[in-house]
Amino acid sequence: MYPAPIEDYIRPRTLAEAVSALARYAPGEAVFLAGGQSLMQAMKSRMVRPRCIVDLQTLTELKGIRISDGLAIGAMTRYVEIAESQAIGPAYAALQDAAQHVGDRQVRNRGTLGGSVCWNYLASCMPAVTLGLGGTMQLLAANGKTRAVSADDFLIAPLETARAEDELLTSITFPAAPANTGSAYKKWGLVTDALPVVGVCMQVTLNAAGACSAARIALSGLSAGAQRAPAGEALLVGSKVDESAMKRALEAIVGSVDAQSDKWADTAYRHQLIRTLGLDVANSAFARARGV
Amino acid sequence: MKTISVTINGEAYVETVPVRMLLVDFIREKCGLTGTHVSCTYEGVCGACTVQLNGEAIKSCMMLAAQADGHRVTTVEGLANGEELTPLQKAFKAHHGLQCGFCTPGILMNMTEFLQKNPRPTDDEIRRGLVGNLCRCTGYVHIVDAVRAAANSAT
Repeated sequence: MYPAPIEDYIRPRTLAEAVSALARYAPGEAVFLAGGQSLMQAMKSRMVRPRCIVDLQTLTELKGIRISDGLAIGAMTRYVEIAESQAIGPAYAALQDAAQHVGDRQVRNRGTLGGSVCWNYLASCMPAVTLGLGGTMQLLAANGKTRAVSADDFLIAPLETARAEDELLTSITFPAAPANTGSAYKKWGLVTDALPVVGVCMQVTLNAAGACSAARIALSGLSAGAQRAPAGEALLVGSKVDESAMKRALEAIVGSVDAQSDKWADTAYRHQLIRTLGLDVANSAFARARGV
Repeated sequence: MKTISVTINGEAYVETVPVRMLLVDFIREKCGLTGTHVSCTYEGVCGACTVQLNGEAIKSCMMLAAQADGHRVTTVEGLANGEELTPLQKAFKAHHGLQCGFCTPGILMNMTEFLQKNPRPTDDEIRRGLVGNLCRCTGYVHIVDAVRAAANSAT
């Protein structure tokens, strides 16, 4: 595995330089390089053969976690920074559950949230977590135009997103969560911190009576890519949040998703993973919503 | 081709390299620092090529050399102070934390940073910290012993 020859390497100093550098090439010939923990692999296997690399490493406006009327995470914010952040509260704790278990320490020291979401690999955690938490992608085009795209619309299919070839993902924003909101994510892989065979993300809100007033559920590891589980969400909302309600919601998810059989796990095993991981995640998300 | 300047173990290396050159090849072949090893086929799975970039453990096969331009790299050659080994290196020797030794440079570079961030790790934390480093000889027991001993010796 080694990259094919690459003609040029550019390290822009401003966002405008970054998008204009990419626009000088035909679509697909130049690529943005974030942390490189997916793209370098794709270049080494020659699945991606760029003429030019536009390295985003010096763009400080793409880095960091900001709290103001919600949560904004720069696209170049690394897993290690998300995993260790003290600023991300219970409503978005699923981001930390996921970031703490991506790959290994070395990968977490380099890999970025934005890179993962733009790559949108089938077996990856961050697209599903961003979807489960209702994130919005903030994009900047070469002509200076910006647009905001919900994770629901952004994540089209594995390795496919709504990002145009000339667009740069600058940050992912999450709305200010209502009181008593909690989230969690858990995955199962073949070895410790491996790619998810199945992962479950939930974000839930409790009302004053202690019933579930809002729920978002997203799954990773299924062949259609990161996806919502509306059948489960509908059963959780309005429920009194006991174990039988959680199990009914998870059974509805099992009955509604297309879980593939492959060399990692067959359909029945993936269904069982959704039940088992889902119950852990639901208990954790509701506990966080209660502030415990 | 790109002319880059990388400070490795305190020494500046200025070289003109192909853009596609991986950092690990720059370290080994341009700078002659062969303590950094390649154990898989640059697939990022073995961790033997782990070095520190600005003090953080990273896999040097997962980066282009050009990305390290202007940055500080530490390799296994940069750990000891002359003949004086670091506490972690001493612990690996004392606890037989290696057999063939091929994976050891990457483990030392990873665990050196790990112990700086977490000076009092549990065994479970040590094992989780080692996920990115494959060892085919030891079964990890003596490696975990060595990392734990280094942590305890630092009191």
